Amino acid sequence: MEDEEDNIFSGSDDEEAMTAGEVLQKLEEAWMNEALSPELLMNKSDIIDCMMEQINEMENNIQRVKTNDLKIYIHKMELERIRYLLTSYLRIRIKKIEKYATAIMMEDGKRDPDDAKLTDSELQFAREREKNLLELFQNLVLQHMPPNMQSLEKDKICSKPNLDEYVFFRVNQDVEGVLVEEETVDNREEVIDLKKGEQHIMRYKIIRPLAETGAVSLI
Amino acid sequence: MDSAEIEFFAENEEVTIVPNFSKDKLFLIRGDVGPFNASMPVTVPVWLAVSLRQQQRCRIIPPPWMDVEKLTEKKEEETSTDIFTQMPCEYYMEVAQLLLNCASDDIPYAHKIRTLIKDIWDARMSKLRSSIQTFLTSDATHAKVERITI
Amino acid sequence: MFGEKALELIKELKRCGDGLLPSFNEETVRQVLEEMKSLFEENHKDVTASSEGEQGLFPGVQLRHAALERNKRILLTYLNERATSIAELRWQMGTVLPPDIRSRLAEHELSWLQKYNKSLTAYMRAVGADITHNLKPPKSLLIEVRCTTEHGSIELTSGRTLHLSRGTHHFLERSECEPLIARGIVEEI
Repeated sequence: MEDEEDNIFSGSDDEEAMTAGEVLQKLEEAWMNEALSPELLMNKSDIIDCMMEQINEMENNIQRVKTNDLKIYIHKMELERIRYLLTSYLRIRIKKIEKYATAIMMEDGKRDPDDAKLTDSELQFAREREKNLLELFQNLVLQHMPPNMQSLEKDKICSKPNLDEYVFFRVNQDVEGVLVEEETVDNREEVIDLKKGEQHIMRYKIIRPLAETGAVSLI
Repeated sequence: MDSAEIEFFAENEEVTIVPNFSKDKLFLIRGDVGPFNASMPVTVPVWLAVSLRQQQRCRIIPPPWMDVEKLTEKKEEETSTDIFTQMPCEYYMEVAQLLLNCASDDIPYAHKIRTLIKDIWDARMSKLRSSIQTFLTSDATHAKVERITI
Repeated sequence: MFGEKALELIKELKRCGDGLLPSFNEETVRQVLEEMKSLFEENHKDVTASSEGEQGLFPGVQLRHAALERNKRILLTYLNERATSIAELRWQMGTVLPPDIRSRLAEHELSWLQKYNKSLTAYMRAVGADITHNLKPPKSLLIEVRCTTEHGSIELTSGRTLHLSRGTHHFLERSECEPLIARGIVEEI
């Protein structure tokens, strides 16, 4: 019995480029960045799908084992933790999508579909969110307004994330020549270099592309 | 991030325990832990250590930095300068709390350690508050913040 | 003063603070819409008069137009803020709202909530995870209990033997301690 159990739980795919542990670490990084960034980041559906598969497989294995010993208990605890991380990550994104649906879809509309921030199911949710809200506006007030007031300029009224927010971040790889202040009448241009391991605070929008590539991690 | 979330991440830190049971290596998703041999120290994530300790299945060996002498020095160093000093662990506050709450019997001078950790944390928080204040009221667009912890 | 009624709506939401949703203020919304209607009609009259040569009406028209825009913006903000709170209620209370809260929603808000539920469910089905659960990081699966009687030894499903005497503390799995709690042998701390 003991041997059989070991086999069940050691069944990892060796041909995978990343170990399950590494995928989990990526998920933790993704969670942290998503939780701390004012805007929605690029979706990480590859990591999510992979982790989802891992925990479903593990759950099935556990259910097949009848005994309720310490080993199973520890596996269950780990599953609980990962399940929380996954659902929490998806939740953080859904809450941002609810808030900024229109702005995010307009932004995604300008990108190559392969670089879209939203996953297919998130896009579906965002579309419905926008449509339902417009219907609510329409039904409750817009249709009762004077004719010249009934239209909506979506891009003008939709809420957008505040990219000027200050964020703390850690530098993961050296980046040279980050423009922190553009030249204006009052200020001269200010450029700094980021060195691996350093921690900084600045406006989110300055490091926006770096957060997306993973050159910095929000903390 | 709220305090429960920070604690969650702190629970991924590692700590050494001495189990009172024997068990083969466990192939967790995060990575392997064990094998567990009664009376042999083994390193596990904090969440596992806390849980095993609650079931009285292990004793926790406090991390080297959870030591009255070392923490007293750290406190001196932290309070004698305006900059942040290097902390031994990113989540020192949470890890200390987690271990002290479940295993104060395993940690010599637990009460003293609790106080020292809190003093260090207070000192760092007040530095953080005042430096953020200075930063926000200045014209600066960015600042390097060395060695701050989450 | 134009827009005063509309502002009441926002103040009302603010007064109620987070999570406490006031009843949909149909009366005030109607009054704001009325105000908009009369502003529009006056403007229409003035614009017609101007085109027939009357002078000096333009500033008034502009002022009223600004008031119209402002009223519209405030009404939409009111609805949007409420929709956000209603969605929040869904997360806190599940798909079935208690009657006293339900009664605070306008008919159209109820159907909005229904559609919201539907698209949230569709999303969760697509990703294969119920994101309305696991809201807090998991703590240990064990629960600390205090024994309230001299019960003696029991064997746990894990095979571990536990000696339950009055005043002792134990950490047990929820499934194991629930029957003991029900029988009054231990209490949760």
